[in-house]
Amino acid sequence: MEKRPVALITGCSTGIGLEASLALAKKGYLVYATMRNLKKAGALRKAAKRLPIEILALDVDKAADAQKAVSAVVRKTGRIDVLINNAGWGAFGALEEFTDEEIWAQYETNVFGLMRVTNAVLPVMRKQKGGRILHIGSLAGKMTFGGVGLYCSSKHAVEALTEAMRTEVRPFNIEVTVIEPGSTNTQFKYNRHLSQKFLKGKSEYQSILKKILAYGNDQSKKAPGSEQVVKAILKVLDARRMAVRYAAGFDATWFPVARWFLTDAIYDLVLKRMYRRFM
Amino acid sequence: MKNISVQKPVALVTGASSGFGFEIAKLLAEKGCRVYATYRNPKKIKALKALAAKADVLPVVMEVTNAASVDKAVKAIVQKEKRIDVLVNNAGFAMGGFLEDQSDQDIKDQFDTNVFGCLRVIRAVAPIMRKNRSGKIVNVGSIAGRVSFPALGSYAASKHALKAISESLRQELRPYGIEVTEIAPGTYSTQVTTSARYGENTRSAKSPNLENTRQMEALMEKEFAKGRPASEVAELIWKALNHSPMKIAYLAGPDAKFMAFLKWLLPDFAFEDFVKLIIPWSRFPKK
Repeated sequence: MEKRPVALITGCSTGIGLEASLALAKKGYLVYATMRNLKKAGALRKAAKRLPIEILALDVDKAADAQKAVSAVVRKTGRIDVLINNAGWGAFGALEEFTDEEIWAQYETNVFGLMRVTNAVLPVMRKQKGGRILHIGSLAGKMTFGGVGLYCSSKHAVEALTEAMRTEVRPFNIEVTVIEPGSTNTQFKYNRHLSQKFLKGKSEYQSILKKILAYGNDQSKKAPGSEQVVKAILKVLDARRMAVRYAAGFDATWFPVARWFLTDAIYDLVLKRMYRRFM
Repeated sequence: MKNISVQKPVALVTGASSGFGFEIAKLLAEKGCRVYATYRNPKKIKALKALAAKADVLPVVMEVTNAASVDKAVKAIVQKEKRIDVLVNNAGFAMGGFLEDQSDQDIKDQFDTNVFGCLRVIRAVAPIMRKNRSGKIVNVGSIAGRVSFPALGSYAASKHALKAISESLRQELRPYGIEVTEIAPGTYSTQVTTSARYGENTRSAKSPNLENTRQMEALMEKEFAKGRPASEVAELIWKALNHSPMKIAYLAGPDAKFMAFLKWLLPDFAFEDFVKLIIPWSRFPKK
C-alpha cells in the first residue's frame, strides 16, 4: 500500500493541470497526471524530472477511459486521496450558431467527462472512507458573457453539480469543491474551439465575435499564469474542511461580488454597456 | 404586447401538452396570440386538442432532442406566418436520483432535452426573429438554476446551464431587437413529478445511497404537495412579455423568491448550514 497521498489529475499536458501536478508532487503527493494525448507529455516529463509523477492516458470524452485509468491507479496504489477534475476547454461563438456536434463536444468534456471520472473515483474514496474532489470550474460559472455562452453554461452546470454532490457524498467523508479561476494566461486561448460558422467567416455576428475574441485573448495575455490557481489548490488541500467554492484571481474574486450587490437591472445595464464596445 | 406591433402576434410554446406549457398556450391564446403549441407524444394531447378546438391554438409535433424535427416544425410555421414573435422554451423534464446512481446516458438525456433542446429551438427560430428585427424569447428555467439540491443534481445542473444560456443570449440578441428572459419557478403543481425519470441505479440494492434517496424523496413529495397552480407562471410570463424591455429574469412563487433571497443573502457556508437543517442526513461521519 502506497504511503504517500495519491492524487489523480486530468488534463495535465499544459496549463493548470501541468502546474498542479508539479506542485502536488513537490508537496509529497504521488501524482497520477493524466492527459488525452500522451504525445503531448513532453513538457510535463521534462519539468517532472525526479518528482513522483506518473503519466497516464485518459480521454475524459471516452466512456471507458475513466474507469480504466482509475483501475490502473488503484491496482498500483490501492487508493486515491485527491481527484482534480481539470480537463476542459472553451467553445467560442454565438449561441444560436453552434451545431449539435459542437454543443455535445463542449459538454462531453466539461460536464459529462467530469462526471465520468468522478463516478469512477467515488467507489474508491468511499471504500477508503474519505477523499477530496476538486472541480476546476471558472468565473464563467458565475458570470456570463456574449460569445462564450456555451462555455459559460457548461461551467454553470459544474457549479450546480458541485453543490449537489457535496451534500450527497458528505456522509461518506468525501469532500467536493469547485475552484473558479478568472482570466489565466495558459494555453486555454489557443485550445479554444471556434464555432465553424465563425471560422468560415459566415457568422451573422462575425465582426462582433472577432472583437470579443481579441478582447478575451488580450485579457488572458495580461492575466497572471496558472500559479494563482495552483496556489488556490494548495490552500484548499490544506484546509481542514473544503468550502463550497474558491475564487482564484482578482477578477474571479471581485466580479461576482459586484454582481452580488448590483441589482439585476443595473447588472444588465453594465453588460449592455460592455457589449456595446464590441459592436 | 409592447414592442410587438402586429394585430395578432405569433407565439411558439414548446412542451405544451401539460403543465406550464399548456397553461402558457392557453393564456397567450386568450390574450390574442396565435399559439403554435408543440408536443412530443401524440397519445398525451387530449387536453391540448380540446383547447385547440375552442381557441387559436395549433398543436404541432416536435421532439426537441431531434434537430430535424425542430427544424421541420419551425420551418412550417415560418412559411405560413412569415414571423414568430414569441418563443417560450418550456419543454423539459427532471432527472432525479443521486449523481453517482446516474449513468452516463441519464445525465446526457437530461441535458439533451433541457439545454440542447432549448438551443435547437433557438437556432431554428432566431434567424426569422433577427430578420424581423423583433421577437421575445422566454426560457422556462427553475429555482434549481440558482440553488442545487441533492438527488436533483443533474436537473439543477441543466437549469443552471439554461440560466447562463439565457443571460448570454440576451447579450447576443439584444442588438437585433430580440429580447431574452428567463422565468424561474419554484414548486408548482405540474406533471414534473410524474414525468420525472430516475437515475439507472437509484432504486438498485447496490446503490450506497438508498436510504438517503428515500429521505430526499419523502421531502420532495411533501414540497410538491404544496405546489401552486401552474397558471400562476403563465400569468407571470404574460406580465414579462408586456414589460419593455423584459427583465433579465423573473422568479415565480414565494418559495423561489425566498430561496433565491437566502442564497443571495447568506455566505456559502451559512447557506449550506441552512440546507443541512432541511437535510439532516448530510453530515460528516463521526470519527
